[in-house]
Amino acid sequence: MRVSTNVAVAAALAVLTGGVLAGCGLTAPEDDSIVHKRSLVIGVKADQPGLGLKKGDRYEGYDVDVATYVAGKLGVPPERITFRTTPSSEREKALRDGKVDMIFATYSITPKRKTQVTFGGPYYVAHQDTLVREGEKAVTGVRDLKGRRICAVTGSNSWKRVTEERKVAAAPVEAADYGDCLAKLSAGQVDAISTDDLILAGMASTGAAVRMVNAPFTDEKYGVGLRKGDLAGCEAVNRALTEMYQDGKAGELLDRWFARSKLRTVRSVPQFEGCS
Amino acid sequence: MTTTRQPAVPTIRPPAPDRPSSPPPVPARRPSRVTTFVRGHWLRTIPGRLRAYAAAALVAVAVLTVVLTVAVDNARDGVQTIGHDAGPQVVATGTLYFALSDMDAQVADILLIGRERSLGIGYDGSLRRYEQRRAAAGLAAVQAAQLAGNDPKRRKNVQDVLDGLGRYERLVGEAMLLDRQADHEAGKLPANVVTTYRQATDLMKLELLPKAYNLTLDSGATVRQSYESKRSAVLTGRAWVALTGALVLLILLAAQIYLARGFRRLVNPALAAATLLTVGLVAVAFGMLSAQAGHLQRAKEDGFDSVLALSRARAISHSAFADESRFLLDPGRADTYEQVYLDKALSVLYVEPGANKPVNLESYYTRLEEELDDFAANPRTIRFLGFFGDEARQSATGAESVALGQALQGYRTVLRNDRSIRELAARNDRAGAIRLRMGRDRGAIRDFDAYDAALVKLSDAHHAAFTRAIADADGGLGGWRAVPPAGAAVIAVLVLAGLRPRLAEFR
Repeated sequence: MRVSTNVAVAAALAVLTGGVLAGCGLTAPEDDSIVHKRSLVIGVKADQPGLGLKKGDRYEGYDVDVATYVAGKLGVPPERITFRTTPSSEREKALRDGKVDMIFATYSITPKRKTQVTFGGPYYVAHQDTLVREGEKAVTGVRDLKGRRICAVTGSNSWKRVTEERKVAAAPVEAADYGDCLAKLSAGQVDAISTDDLILAGMASTGAAVRMVNAPFTDEKYGVGLRKGDLAGCEAVNRALTEMYQDGKAGELLDRWFARSKLRTVRSVPQFEGCS
Repeated sequence: MTTTRQPAVPTIRPPAPDRPSSPPPVPARRPSRVTTFVRGHWLRTIPGRLRAYAAAALVAVAVLTVVLTVAVDNARDGVQTIGHDAGPQVVATGTLYFALSDMDAQVADILLIGRERSLGIGYDGSLRRYEQRRAAAGLAAVQAAQLAGNDPKRRKNVQDVLDGLGRYERLVGEAMLLDRQADHEAGKLPANVVTTYRQATDLMKLELLPKAYNLTLDSGATVRQSYESKRSAVLTGRAWVALTGALVLLILLAAQIYLARGFRRLVNPALAAATLLTVGLVAVAFGMLSAQAGHLQRAKEDGFDSVLALSRARAISHSAFADESRFLLDPGRADTYEQVYLDKALSVLYVEPGANKPVNLESYYTRLEEELDDFAANPRTIRFLGFFGDEARQSATGAESVALGQALQGYRTVLRNDRSIRELAARNDRAGAIRLRMGRDRGAIRDFDAYDAALVKLSDAHHAAFTRAIADADGGLGGWRAVPPAGAAVIAVLVLAGLRPRLAEFR
């Protein structure tokens, strides 16, 4: 008799404690969001002057500074941020595998990428533009590239936007990377480089004798790559970016990295993509 | 007292451990009620047992009532936020973006037609629509300001939009004045009109529209967070209701068994009734909470999300349509406007350009036709992305899928017109391009209006789903303020009624 009631009470207690544990499990659905992280690993480029450039064991550039600002708004101070070089081809995988928590690396938002990555931002809308030698006055827009030699970086799509999408009959000249392009432009081996204006402005700010044409013809939305499904993180990133523009920090950073290039930058918050 | 002085009294040495000191004499006294209770001898008596069962059952029933009330409150809060407060307000702010972008579209049309004031919906028609959109934008801004509440950053955002709107209207006024003075032929705008309009449309595109769009996104985020937390609270509450219900049942069953053995009666009817009532209450509450979680989910995903997404798709479509006008009115920026048109088209409905094909309008026209043919033939093959991709995956059946079919057909026609307009412009037949773009009875405007009407119908279908889900949720919650305490009271009375006569046997 007593045994049976004791068993009943024990069973009830067991069920109840089990319930407490189950209850805790149910109330924390967004635990792996970046908003709960104490430290962050952020993927950046290592070879783009003005945006993400590795110098020794430090990274510098606009992307790096924006990432630091956003991480700060998420409650992670600079000493708890680890930057990691993330080449274009590995960005989706690095996020999926959890190798990086966020990516700030001239990462354009496209409908296709959105199926694999949740994008905060964009933090800047770059535009494809043209860079020419300083004395070159005849080029005022992409159409003027007809008959001229443009730099074609292996694996990049930018030059195709001129020759294939816009059907401007320019002559592509192959180059290994944009550093190579800049050298070829200075040496007179190509007449123009056509790619995102921030990338061009970063190169122009290195002191080369070049000129920004300031005739944009596409929109490239630089987004903050997040693990697919981290909506809370995405919303927090968007709020941080809104603040960055409201408090003038965005303009300050754009000046710091691109003012020398005489690029006309936009100092108003970009239209966000929406978290999905 | 100094440290050197010897103590006057010899120190008392502690008793040796092997010689326990005798306990101090305790006056013979009856142990207190608390002591008796804690010792638990009373539990071994039959009346004690009966009282313990009664107390345990009543406590458990009380806990069940609290848990159930909290769960029902969570469900009610969730329905209130999504269905009645923030949800509809967020949808209302969505019209801000649309109204602003359509204001700029009307200005583009007015400037494009110049002195040929009957082209398109006409000078007066465009102006009237401009005023309507201006009023709608003001109304939506009020909603946005209300949603912003005391949040300073959001308030600043709304304020920035209103400030920018003031500057925009000044620039537009200037452009229209210059335009009237120029008295130009359709599509042949003087440079000063184009320059002033560029300032206005840049302000709209780069500052006003992004801020308006972000406002809706941000307040939508608040609704999403509240939805997530309320829905998970309802589900957690449901688990707790089941657990505490099980506890009440265990206690009642244990009491039943005890009575059956101790008093040689098969069933205590009152306890049995309490047991059945508990089973019923918990089952119904469990079902109701499950249903509420379902209603919330339908209202949020099938209703709120879709309505918001479609209002964005509609706004983007309108501004893309205006980019056709801008493409014609500002040849200096024709390349940019064509690219922007493509970007907007891709965000509304994205198709892969195909292997080694460039992403331009030419490849888009072709691939769009193919993908839509495939989708029409077999609605399960959805390879396209963007707003319509999400929508196609969401609305597979019913009124929504019919409306989606019509919207897609409309979109296809709009893109065919776009192709013709650009081909005419490329052949330097600008007059022909403008005629087609501004054609009202047959031409781009009529087809775009048909597409827009289909979009509105699709959005209405989702809105109806939203209203239905919220009505179901409200209906399901009806009476649940009274049910938990009333049910608990009846169960408690039955428990007491079942145990009291047995207790009476020991008086």
